[in-house]
Amino acid sequence: MHPSRMATGLAALSIATAAVLGGCSTSSAGPAEPAPPAAPLLAPTPPPGTVPVPEPPVPDAAASPTAAPPPAAGTGVAAGIPVRPADAAVQPPPPAPVSLDVPGTDISVRVVDVGIAGNDAMEIPDSFWEAGWYRFGPAPGADAGHAVIAAHVDSQTEVMPFARLKDVDPGTVLTVGLADGSMLQYRVDDVRNVPKATLDGSDVFRRDGPHRLKIITCGGEWLLDKGDYEDNVVLTASPL
Amino acid sequence: MRRSLYTVGAVLVVAAAAAAPATAAESQSAASLSVLHGVPDLTVDVYVNGALTLDDFAPGTLAGPLSLPAGSYQLAITAADAPDASAPVIGPVDVSLAAGGNYTATANLDAAGTPTANFYTNDVSAVEAGKSRLTVRHVAAAPAVDVLAGGAPIVPNLSNPGEATLTTDPGTVSAAVAAAGTTQPVIGPADLTLAEGTSTIVYAWGSLEAGNLALATQVIDGLHSSPGSVPGGQSGLAAQDDDAGAAMGIGAAALALLGGAIAVSRRRTARV
Repeated sequence: MHPSRMATGLAALSIATAAVLGGCSTSSAGPAEPAPPAAPLLAPTPPPGTVPVPEPPVPDAAASPTAAPPPAAGTGVAAGIPVRPADAAVQPPPPAPVSLDVPGTDISVRVVDVGIAGNDAMEIPDSFWEAGWYRFGPAPGADAGHAVIAAHVDSQTEVMPFARLKDVDPGTVLTVGLADGSMLQYRVDDVRNVPKATLDGSDVFRRDGPHRLKIITCGGEWLLDKGDYEDNVVLTASPL
Repeated sequence: MRRSLYTVGAVLVVAAAAAAPATAAESQSAASLSVLHGVPDLTVDVYVNGALTLDDFAPGTLAGPLSLPAGSYQLAITAADAPDASAPVIGPVDVSLAAGGNYTATANLDAAGTPTANFYTNDVSAVEAGKSRLTVRHVAAAPAVDVLAGGAPIVPNLSNPGEATLTTDPGTVSAAVAAAGTTQPVIGPADLTLAEGTSTIVYAWGSLEAGNLALATQVIDGLHSSPGSVPGGQSGLAAQDDDAGAAMGIGAAALALLGGAIAVSRRRTARV
Protein backbone atom coordinates (compact mmCIF):
# COMPACT_ATOMS: atom_id res chain seq x y z
CA MET A 1 0.00 0.00 0.00
CA HIS A 2 1.04 3.51 -0.71
CA PRO A 3 -1.34 5.63 1.34
CA SER A 4 0.27 8.94 0.61
CA ARG A 5 0.49 8.20 -3.08
CA MET A 6 -3.11 7.24 -3.09
CA ALA A 7 -4.08 10.37 -1.26
CA THR A 8 -2.10 12.49 -3.67
CA GLY A 9 -3.66 10.79 -6.64
CA LEU A 10 -7.13 11.19 -5.22
CA ALA A 11 -6.55 14.80 -4.41
CA ALA A 12 -5.42 15.33 -7.96
CA LEU A 13 -8.46 13.54 -9.32
CA SER A 14 -10.84 15.48 -7.15
CA ILE A 15 -9.20 18.72 -8.21
CA ALA A 16 -9.75 17.70 -11.81
CA THR A 17 -13.35 16.85 -11.04
CA ALA A 18 -13.93 20.08 -9.18
CA ALA A 19 -12.47 22.05 -12.05
CA VAL A 20 -14.80 20.45 -14.56
CA LEU A 21 -17.84 20.79 -12.33
CA GLY A 22 -16.97 24.39 -11.64
CA GLY A 23 -16.96 24.92 -15.36
CA CYS A 24 -20.48 23.50 -15.53
CA SER A 25 -21.92 25.58 -12.74
CA THR A 26 -20.52 29.01 -13.41
CA SER A 27 -20.37 30.99 -16.59
CA SER A 28 -16.90 32.45 -16.04
CA ALA A 29 -14.85 29.28 -15.68
CA GLY A 30 -14.10 28.85 -19.34
CA PRO A 31 -15.44 26.29 -21.77
CA ALA A 32 -17.46 23.59 -20.05
CA GLU A 33 -18.20 21.36 -22.95
CA PRO A 34 -19.24 17.80 -22.33
CA ALA A 35 -17.50 15.50 -24.75
CA PRO A 36 -19.56 14.76 -27.84
CA PRO A 37 -21.15 11.38 -27.20
CA ALA A 38 -20.86 10.48 -30.86
CA ALA A 39 -17.07 10.16 -30.67
CA PRO A 40 -15.81 6.60 -31.11
CA LEU A 41 -15.28 5.21 -27.66
CA LEU A 42 -11.83 3.78 -28.16
CA ALA A 43 -10.53 6.35 -30.62
CA PRO A 44 -7.54 8.25 -29.29
CA THR A 45 -8.85 11.60 -28.13
CA PRO A 46 -6.66 14.15 -26.40
CA PRO A 47 -7.90 15.13 -22.96
CA PRO A 48 -9.90 18.36 -23.16
CA GLY A 49 -8.36 21.50 -21.77
CA THR A 50 -10.89 21.59 -18.94
CA VAL A 51 -9.38 18.48 -17.37
CA PRO A 52 -6.00 19.42 -16.02
CA VAL A 53 -3.51 16.61 -16.05
CA PRO A 54 -2.22 16.54 -12.50
CA GLU A 55 1.43 16.21 -11.64
CA PRO A 56 2.58 12.66 -11.10
CA PRO A 57 2.09 11.63 -7.50
CA VAL A 58 5.28 11.77 -5.48
CA PRO A 59 6.22 8.41 -4.04
CA ASP A 60 6.35 8.35 -0.29
CA ALA A 61 10.00 8.15 0.68
CA ALA A 62 9.15 6.55 4.01
CA ALA A 63 7.27 3.66 2.47
CA SER A 64 9.90 1.28 1.19
CA PRO A 65 8.69 -0.14 -2.11
CA THR A 66 8.09 -3.85 -1.90
CA ALA A 67 8.15 -6.13 -4.88
CA ALA A 68 4.61 -7.40 -4.67
CA PRO A 69 2.29 -5.81 -2.13
CA PRO A 70 -0.47 -8.20 -1.09
CA PRO A 71 -3.93 -7.44 -2.45
CA ALA A 72 -5.41 -5.00 0.02
CA ALA A 73 -9.10 -5.37 0.54
CA GLY A 74 -10.56 -2.04 1.50
CA THR A 75 -8.00 0.03 -0.33
CA GLY A 76 -10.62 1.37 -2.66
CA VAL A 77 -13.10 1.83 0.16
CA ALA A 78 -10.65 4.05 1.97
CA ALA A 79 -10.30 5.96 -1.26
CA GLY A 80 -14.06 6.39 -1.57
CA ILE A 81 -14.26 4.03 -4.52
CA PRO A 82 -15.98 0.76 -3.68
CA VAL A 83 -13.94 -2.29 -4.63
CA ARG A 84 -15.40 -5.74 -4.20
CA PRO A 85 -14.86 -9.28 -5.38
CA ALA A 86 -16.63 -9.61 -8.73
CA ASP A 87 -18.65 -12.61 -7.62
CA ALA A 88 -22.37 -13.17 -7.60
CA ALA A 89 -22.99 -12.52 -3.91
CA VAL A 90 -26.69 -12.75 -3.25
CA GLN A 91 -28.48 -11.05 -0.39
CA PRO A 92 -30.92 -13.33 1.41
CA PRO A 93 -34.43 -12.10 0.62
CA PRO A 94 -36.39 -10.42 3.43
CA PRO A 95 -39.31 -12.38 4.94
CA ALA A 96 -42.37 -12.15 2.71
CA PRO A 97 -45.75 -10.95 3.97
CA VAL A 98 -48.26 -13.74 4.61
CA SER A 99 -51.29 -11.97 6.11
CA LEU A 100 -53.11 -8.65 6.15
CA ASP A 101 -55.75 -7.46 8.63
CA VAL A 102 -57.54 -4.13 8.38
CA PRO A 103 -59.73 -3.45 11.45
CA GLY A 104 -63.25 -2.23 10.82
CA THR A 105 -63.48 -4.15 7.53
CA ASP A 106 -63.77 -7.77 6.37
CA ILE A 107 -60.20 -7.52 5.09
CA SER A 108 -58.46 -10.35 6.91
CA VAL A 109 -56.68 -12.28 4.20
CA ARG A 110 -53.72 -14.44 3.36
CA VAL A 111 -51.03 -12.69 1.34
CA VAL A 112 -49.23 -14.58 -1.43
CA ASP A 113 -46.27 -13.61 -3.65
CA VAL A 114 -47.24 -12.39 -7.10
CA GLY A 115 -45.41 -11.04 -10.13
CA ILE A 116 -46.44 -9.93 -13.59
CA ALA A 117 -49.38 -11.45 -15.45
CA GLY A 118 -50.02 -10.89 -19.14
CA ASN A 119 -50.29 -7.39 -20.58
CA ASP A 120 -47.67 -5.99 -18.21
CA ALA A 121 -50.24 -6.10 -15.40
CA MET A 122 -49.65 -6.96 -11.76
CA GLU A 123 -50.80 -10.49 -11.02
CA ILE A 124 -53.81 -10.64 -8.65
CA PRO A 125 -54.89 -13.83 -6.82
CA ASP A 126 -58.39 -15.04 -7.67
CA SER A 127 -59.25 -16.35 -4.23
CA PHE A 128 -61.71 -14.50 -2.03
CA TRP A 129 -59.32 -15.00 0.88
CA GLU A 130 -56.07 -13.88 -0.72
CA ALA A 131 -54.26 -10.71 -1.64
CA GLY A 132 -51.04 -10.54 -3.68
CA TRP A 133 -47.76 -8.91 -2.66
CA TYR A 134 -45.69 -7.60 -5.61
CA ARG A 135 -42.57 -9.64 -4.94
CA PHE A 136 -40.28 -7.63 -7.24
CA GLY A 137 -40.73 -4.49 -5.15
CA PRO A 138 -39.89 -3.83 -1.50
CA ALA A 139 -41.42 -6.07 1.17
CA PRO A 140 -43.36 -4.76 4.16
CA GLY A 141 -40.75 -3.79 6.73
CA ALA A 142 -38.25 -2.65 4.08
CA ASP A 143 -36.00 0.34 4.70
CA ALA A 144 -37.19 2.19 1.63
CA GLY A 145 -39.76 2.19 -1.14
CA HIS A 146 -43.34 1.05 -1.40
CA ALA A 147 -44.53 -2.43 -0.51
CA VAL A 148 -47.55 -3.10 -2.73
CA ILE A 149 -50.36 -5.51 -1.84
CA ALA A 150 -53.37 -5.77 -4.17
CA ALA A 151 -56.60 -7.75 -4.32
CA HIS A 152 -59.78 -7.98 -6.35
CA VAL A 153 -62.72 -5.80 -5.35
CA ASP A 154 -65.21 -8.31 -6.75
CA SER A 155 -65.52 -11.69 -8.42
CA GLN A 156 -67.89 -12.80 -11.16
CA THR A 157 -70.49 -13.55 -8.52
CA GLU A 158 -69.91 -11.43 -5.45
CA VAL A 159 -68.42 -8.35 -3.86
CA MET A 160 -65.09 -9.07 -2.12
CA PRO A 161 -63.81 -7.79 1.24
CA PHE A 162 -61.59 -5.21 -0.47
CA ALA A 163 -64.71 -3.31 -1.59
CA ARG A 164 -64.54 -1.66 1.83
CA LEU A 165 -60.97 -0.45 1.33
CA LYS A 166 -62.24 2.94 0.18
CA ASP A 167 -64.02 3.45 3.51
CA VAL A 168 -60.99 2.86 5.75
CA ASP A 169 -60.43 5.91 7.95
CA PRO A 170 -57.04 7.63 8.15
CA GLY A 171 -55.38 6.71 11.44
CA THR A 172 -56.60 3.13 11.31
CA VAL A 173 -53.82 0.77 12.42
CA LEU A 174 -53.51 -2.32 10.24
CA THR A 175 -51.36 -5.40 10.65
CA VAL A 176 -49.15 -7.30 8.22
CA GLY A 177 -47.87 -10.74 9.25
CA LEU A 178 -44.52 -11.90 7.88
CA ALA A 179 -43.28 -15.38 7.01
CA ASP A 180 -40.89 -15.33 9.97
CA GLY A 181 -43.84 -14.99 12.35
CA SER A 182 -43.32 -11.32 13.12
CA MET A 183 -46.10 -8.74 12.86
CA LEU A 184 -45.77 -5.23 11.44
CA GLN A 185 -48.18 -2.40 12.13
CA TYR A 186 -48.91 0.49 9.80
CA ARG A 187 -51.08 3.58 10.33
CA VAL A 188 -53.28 4.63 7.42
CA ASP A 189 -52.34 8.01 5.94
CA ASP A 190 -55.06 8.26 3.31
CA VAL A 191 -57.16 6.39 0.77
CA ARG A 192 -57.43 7.83 -2.71
CA ASN A 193 -58.89 6.98 -6.06
CA VAL A 194 -56.26 7.01 -8.80
CA PRO A 195 -57.64 6.94 -12.36
CA LYS A 196 -56.37 3.76 -14.01
CA ALA A 197 -55.15 5.79 -16.95
CA THR A 198 -52.65 7.55 -14.67
CA LEU A 199 -51.53 4.65 -12.45
CA ASP A 200 -48.77 3.75 -14.90
CA GLY A 201 -46.13 6.37 -14.27
CA SER A 202 -47.39 7.22 -10.79
CA ASP A 203 -45.13 6.55 -7.83
CA VAL A 204 -47.20 3.67 -6.46
CA PHE A 205 -44.49 1.10 -7.24
CA ARG A 206 -41.46 3.21 -6.41
CA ARG A 207 -38.62 1.28 -4.83
CA ASP A 208 -36.82 4.18 -3.17
CA GLY A 209 -37.78 7.03 -0.86
CA PRO A 210 -39.61 6.65 2.47
CA HIS A 211 -41.05 3.21 3.16
CA ARG A 212 -44.84 2.98 2.77
CA LEU A 213 -47.39 0.22 2.43
CA LYS A 214 -49.70 0.60 -0.57
CA ILE A 215 -52.87 -1.50 -0.62
CA ILE A 216 -54.64 -1.43 -3.96
CA THR A 217 -57.94 -2.61 -5.37
CA CYS A 218 -60.39 -1.27 -7.92
CA GLY A 219 -63.08 1.35 -7.55
CA GLY A 220 -65.02 4.16 -9.11
CA GLU A 221 -67.46 3.55 -11.92
CA TRP A 222 -67.62 0.27 -13.82
CA LEU A 223 -66.93 1.15 -17.43
CA LEU A 224 -69.10 -1.18 -19.49
CA ASP A 225 -67.25 -0.54 -22.74
CA LYS A 226 -63.90 -1.40 -21.16
CA GLY A 227 -65.15 -4.11 -18.84
CA ASP A 228 -63.13 -2.46 -16.10
CA TYR A 229 -63.38 -0.01 -13.23
CA GLU A 230 -62.32 3.54 -13.94
CA ASP A 231 -60.09 3.86 -10.87
CA ASN A 232 -57.72 2.08 -8.60
CA VAL A 233 -58.34 2.63 -4.90
CA VAL A 234 -54.96 3.16 -3.25
CA LEU A 235 -54.53 3.08 0.52
CA THR A 236 -51.25 4.49 1.82
CA ALA A 237 -49.98 3.59 5.27
CA SER A 238 -46.81 4.43 7.19
CA PRO A 239 -44.91 2.03 9.46
CA LEU A 240 -45.40 2.44 13.20
CA MET B 1 -38.80 49.77 -24.66
CA ARG B 2 -40.80 46.66 -24.12
CA ARG B 3 -38.33 44.60 -26.02
CA SER B 4 -35.42 45.77 -23.90
CA LEU B 5 -37.36 44.93 -20.74
CA TYR B 6 -37.92 41.42 -21.99
CA THR B 7 -34.26 41.15 -22.83
CA VAL B 8 -33.26 42.13 -19.32
CA GLY B 9 -35.68 39.56 -17.97
CA ALA B 10 -34.21 36.85 -20.14
CA VAL B 11 -30.68 37.71 -19.07
CA LEU B 12 -31.70 37.55 -15.41
CA VAL B 13 -33.25 34.13 -15.92
CA VAL B 14 -30.11 32.87 -17.61
CA ALA B 15 -27.96 34.29 -14.83
CA ALA B 16 -30.16 32.62 -12.21
CA ALA B 17 -29.92 29.31 -14.03
CA ALA B 18 -26.15 29.62 -14.28
CA ALA B 19 -25.84 30.44 -10.59
CA ALA B 20 -28.13 27.60 -9.51
CA PRO B 21 -26.47 24.73 -7.70
CA ALA B 22 -24.94 22.30 -10.13
CA THR B 23 -26.52 19.23 -8.51
CA ALA B 24 -29.09 18.50 -11.19
CA ALA B 25 -26.80 19.37 -14.05
CA GLU B 26 -24.05 17.36 -12.44
CA SER B 27 -26.11 14.19 -12.19
CA GLN B 28 -27.30 14.54 -15.76
CA SER B 29 -23.87 15.26 -17.16
CA ALA B 30 -22.07 12.61 -15.15
CA ALA B 31 -21.03 9.26 -16.52
CA SER B 32 -20.58 6.07 -14.57
CA LEU B 33 -17.38 4.04 -14.91
CA SER B 34 -16.58 0.66 -13.36
CA VAL B 35 -13.28 -1.15 -13.70
CA LEU B 36 -12.91 -4.93 -13.72
CA HIS B 37 -9.56 -6.57 -13.16
CA GLY B 38 -9.40 -9.80 -15.15
CA VAL B 39 -5.69 -10.49 -15.57
CA PRO B 40 -4.72 -13.47 -13.38
CA ASP B 41 -1.79 -13.21 -10.99
CA LEU B 42 -1.15 -9.52 -11.58
CA THR B 43 -1.82 -6.83 -9.00
CA VAL B 44 -1.93 -3.40 -10.62
CA ASP B 45 -2.51 0.30 -10.09
CA VAL B 46 -5.02 2.17 -12.24
CA TYR B 47 -4.44 5.77 -13.25
CA VAL B 48 -7.13 8.09 -14.62
CA ASN B 49 -5.69 11.13 -16.40
CA GLY B 50 -2.36 10.43 -14.75
CA ALA B 51 -3.81 10.36 -11.23
CA LEU B 52 -3.58 7.19 -9.18
CA THR B 53 -7.20 6.11 -8.77
CA LEU B 54 -7.05 2.44 -7.77
CA ASP B 55 -4.12 1.27 -5.71
CA ASP B 56 -3.12 -2.41 -5.51
CA PHE B 57 -6.10 -3.54 -7.59
CA ALA B 58 -6.39 -7.32 -7.35
CA PRO B 59 -7.50 -9.82 -10.02
CA GLY B 60 -11.16 -10.81 -9.86
CA THR B 61 -12.26 -7.55 -8.27
CA LEU B 62 -14.57 -4.85 -9.55
CA ALA B 63 -14.13 -1.19 -8.67
CA GLY B 64 -16.75 1.47 -8.95
CA PRO B 65 -18.91 2.81 -10.17
CA LEU B 66 -17.02 6.09 -10.26
CA SER B 67 -19.15 9.08 -11.13
CA LEU B 68 -17.17 11.22 -13.54
CA PRO B 69 -18.12 14.29 -15.54
CA ALA B 70 -18.72 13.39 -19.17
CA GLY B 71 -15.63 13.83 -21.26
CA SER B 72 -12.48 12.12 -22.41
CA TYR B 73 -10.20 10.28 -20.04
CA GLN B 74 -6.95 8.45 -20.30
CA LEU B 75 -6.74 5.16 -18.43
CA ALA B 76 -3.41 3.55 -17.70
CA ILE B 77 -2.71 0.34 -15.84
CA THR B 78 0.70 -0.05 -14.26
CA ALA B 79 2.52 -2.52 -12.07
CA ALA B 80 1.47 -2.13 -8.45
CA ASP B 81 4.82 -0.62 -7.48
CA ALA B 82 5.10 1.85 -10.35
CA PRO B 83 5.81 5.42 -9.19
CA ASP B 84 3.51 6.97 -11.81
CA ALA B 85 1.60 6.28 -15.03
CA SER B 86 4.58 6.73 -17.34
CA ALA B 87 5.27 3.02 -17.90
CA PRO B 88 1.90 1.27 -18.13
CA VAL B 89 1.65 -2.48 -18.56
CA ILE B 90 -1.72 -1.96 -20.26
CA GLY B 91 -2.68 1.16 -22.18
CA PRO B 92 -2.82 4.05 -21.94
CA VAL B 93 -6.31 3.90 -23.43
CA ASP B 94 -8.29 7.00 -24.28
CA VAL B 95 -11.99 6.65 -23.56
CA SER B 96 -14.90 8.99 -24.07
CA LEU B 97 -17.67 9.01 -21.45
CA ALA B 98 -21.01 10.42 -22.57
CA ALA B 99 -23.38 12.15 -20.14
CA GLY B 100 -25.62 9.57 -18.52
CA GLY B 101 -23.55 6.73 -19.95
CA ASN B 102 -22.56 3.65 -17.97
CA TYR B 103 -19.29 1.94 -18.84
CA THR B 104 -17.01 -0.84 -17.72
CA ALA B 105 -13.32 -0.86 -18.53
CA THR B 106 -11.67 -4.24 -18.19
CA ALA B 107 -8.03 -5.17 -17.79
CA ASN B 108 -7.92 -8.67 -19.20
CA LEU B 109 -6.17 -11.16 -21.46
CA ASP B 110 -6.87 -11.29 -25.17
CA ALA B 111 -7.62 -14.62 -26.82
CA ALA B 112 -3.89 -15.29 -27.19
CA GLY B 113 -3.11 -14.49 -23.55
CA THR B 114 -1.62 -10.98 -23.85
CA PRO B 115 -2.76 -8.40 -21.26
CA THR B 116 -4.99 -5.79 -22.83
CA ALA B 117 -7.87 -3.46 -22.00
CA ASN B 118 -11.43 -3.42 -23.24
CA PHE B 119 -14.04 -0.74 -22.90
CA TYR B 120 -17.72 -1.71 -22.82
CA THR B 121 -20.86 0.40 -22.85
CA ASN B 122 -23.41 -1.05 -20.43
CA ASP B 123 -27.08 -1.18 -21.42
CA VAL B 124 -28.86 0.71 -18.64
CA SER B 125 -32.19 1.14 -20.40
CA ALA B 126 -35.24 0.15 -18.37
CA VAL B 127 -35.94 -3.57 -18.07
CA GLU B 128 -39.53 -4.65 -18.71
CA ALA B 129 -41.48 -5.29 -15.47
CA GLY B 130 -40.98 -8.84 -14.24
CA LYS B 131 -37.84 -9.46 -16.34
CA SER B 132 -34.07 -9.45 -15.91
CA ARG B 133 -31.26 -8.54 -18.31
CA LEU B 134 -28.21 -10.74 -18.76
CA THR B 135 -25.06 -9.69 -20.61
CA VAL B 136 -22.17 -12.10 -21.20
CA ARG B 137 -18.65 -10.90 -22.09
CA HIS B 138 -15.68 -13.00 -23.17
CA VAL B 139 -12.47 -11.49 -21.78
CA ALA B 140 -10.51 -14.72 -21.34
CA ALA B 141 -7.50 -16.25 -23.06
CA ALA B 142 -9.62 -18.96 -24.64
CA PRO B 143 -11.20 -19.78 -28.00
CA ALA B 144 -14.87 -19.13 -28.79
CA VAL B 145 -17.28 -20.47 -26.17
CA ASP B 146 -20.93 -21.30 -25.66
CA VAL B 147 -22.61 -19.98 -22.52
CA LEU B 148 -24.95 -22.56 -21.00
CA ALA B 149 -27.88 -22.16 -18.63
CA GLY B 150 -29.20 -25.39 -17.16
CA GLY B 151 -26.98 -27.27 -19.63
CA ALA B 152 -28.50 -25.65 -22.72
CA PRO B 153 -26.67 -22.99 -24.76
CA ILE B 154 -28.15 -19.52 -24.36
CA VAL B 155 -25.29 -17.64 -26.03
CA PRO B 156 -23.51 -19.61 -28.75
CA ASN B 157 -20.10 -19.00 -30.24
CA LEU B 158 -18.93 -15.99 -28.22
CA SER B 159 -15.32 -15.01 -28.79
CA ASN B 160 -12.97 -12.57 -27.05
CA PRO B 161 -13.76 -9.61 -26.69
CA GLY B 162 -17.36 -10.14 -27.81
CA GLU B 163 -20.51 -9.70 -25.76
CA ALA B 164 -24.15 -10.76 -26.00
CA THR B 165 -27.23 -9.49 -24.17
CA LEU B 166 -30.59 -11.12 -23.59
CA THR B 167 -33.74 -10.51 -21.57
CA THR B 168 -34.77 -13.36 -19.34
CA ASP B 169 -37.06 -14.33 -16.49
CA PRO B 170 -35.61 -13.52 -13.08
CA GLY B 171 -34.43 -16.40 -10.95
CA THR B 172 -31.43 -18.58 -10.29
CA VAL B 173 -29.84 -20.39 -13.22
CA SER B 174 -27.04 -22.91 -13.33
CA ALA B 175 -24.52 -21.16 -15.57
CA ALA B 176 -21.56 -22.74 -17.31
CA VAL B 177 -19.15 -21.99 -20.13
CA ALA B 178 -18.03 -24.62 -22.64
CA ALA B 179 -15.93 -24.60 -25.79
CA ALA B 180 -18.16 -23.58 -28.71
CA GLY B 181 -20.25 -26.49 -29.93
CA THR B 182 -19.71 -28.57 -26.79
CA THR B 183 -21.45 -28.89 -23.44
CA GLN B 184 -18.54 -30.01 -21.26
CA PRO B 185 -17.99 -27.01 -18.93
CA VAL B 186 -14.62 -25.27 -18.82
CA ILE B 187 -16.12 -22.88 -16.23
CA GLY B 188 -18.85 -23.83 -13.77
CA PRO B 189 -21.57 -24.83 -13.52
CA ALA B 190 -22.25 -22.17 -10.88
CA ASP B 191 -25.50 -20.74 -9.60
CA LEU B 192 -26.22 -17.30 -10.98
CA THR B 193 -29.06 -15.26 -9.50
CA LEU B 194 -30.69 -12.87 -11.95
CA ALA B 195 -32.78 -10.33 -10.05
CA GLU B 196 -35.81 -8.64 -11.55
CA GLY B 197 -35.23 -5.17 -12.92
CA THR B 198 -31.45 -5.50 -12.87
CA SER B 199 -28.72 -6.02 -15.41
CA THR B 200 -26.28 -8.80 -14.58
CA ILE B 201 -23.04 -8.74 -16.54
CA VAL B 202 -21.02 -11.94 -16.45
CA TYR B 203 -17.39 -11.98 -17.56
CA ALA B 204 -15.52 -15.14 -18.49
CA TRP B 205 -11.91 -14.29 -17.59
CA GLY B 206 -8.57 -15.93 -16.97
CA SER B 207 -6.69 -18.38 -19.15
CA LEU B 208 -7.70 -21.79 -20.47
CA GLU B 209 -4.06 -22.82 -20.82
CA ALA B 210 -3.20 -21.78 -17.26
CA GLY B 211 -6.31 -23.51 -15.94
CA ASN B 212 -7.62 -20.42 -14.15
CA LEU B 213 -10.74 -19.57 -16.11
CA ALA B 214 -13.40 -18.02 -13.89
CA LEU B 215 -16.59 -16.00 -13.93
CA ALA B 216 -16.79 -12.43 -12.67
CA THR B 217 -20.13 -10.75 -12.09
CA GLN B 218 -21.20 -7.12 -12.19
CA VAL B 219 -24.75 -6.11 -11.27
CA ILE B 220 -26.41 -2.83 -12.24
CA ASP B 221 -29.68 -2.38 -10.37
CA GLY B 222 -32.41 0.23 -10.45
CA LEU B 223 -33.38 -0.52 -14.07
CA HIS B 224 -36.84 -1.86 -13.13
CA SER B 225 -40.16 -0.84 -14.63
CA SER B 226 -43.49 -0.70 -12.80
CA PRO B 227 -46.41 -2.93 -13.73
CA GLY B 228 -48.61 -1.13 -16.23
CA SER B 229 -51.82 -1.77 -14.31
CA VAL B 230 -53.42 -3.35 -11.26
CA PRO B 231 -56.51 -5.18 -12.54
CA GLY B 232 -58.36 -5.47 -9.26
CA GLY B 233 -61.91 -5.83 -10.63
CA GLN B 234 -63.70 -8.55 -12.53
CA SER B 235 -67.41 -7.95 -12.84
CA GLY B 236 -68.42 -4.48 -11.72
CA LEU B 237 -70.42 -5.86 -8.81
CA ALA B 238 -68.65 -3.58 -6.33
CA ALA B 239 -69.66 -0.55 -8.38
CA GLN B 240 -73.28 -1.73 -8.44
CA ASP B 241 -73.02 -2.10 -4.69
CA ASP B 242 -71.94 1.54 -4.56
CA ASP B 243 -74.67 2.64 -6.95
CA ALA B 244 -77.26 1.07 -4.69
CA GLY B 245 -75.86 3.08 -1.80
CA ALA B 246 -75.76 6.23 -3.89
CA ALA B 247 -79.34 5.76 -4.99
CA MET B 248 -80.41 5.45 -1.36
CA GLY B 249 -78.48 8.62 -0.60
CA ILE B 250 -80.18 10.52 -3.39
CA GLY B 251 -83.52 9.27 -2.19
CA ALA B 252 -82.82 10.48 1.33
CA ALA B 253 -81.71 13.87 0.04
CA ALA B 254 -84.88 14.17 -2.02
CA LEU B 255 -86.97 13.36 1.04
CA ALA B 256 -85.12 15.98 3.06
CA LEU B 257 -85.67 18.58 0.32
CA LEU B 258 -89.30 17.66 0.19
CA GLY B 259 -89.53 18.02 3.97
CA GLY B 260 -87.89 21.44 3.74
CA ALA B 261 -90.28 22.54 1.06
CA ILE B 262 -93.21 21.48 3.18
CA ALA B 263 -91.84 23.41 6.15
CA VAL B 264 -91.41 26.55 4.04
CA SER B 265 -94.87 26.33 2.64
CA ARG B 266 -96.27 25.89 6.14
CA ARG B 267 -94.50 29.02 7.29
CA ARG B 268 -95.90 30.95 4.42
CA THR B 269 -99.30 29.73 5.27
CA ALA B 270 -98.83 30.88 8.83
CA ARG B 271 -97.78 34.36 7.74
CA VAL B 272 -100.73 34.90 5.62
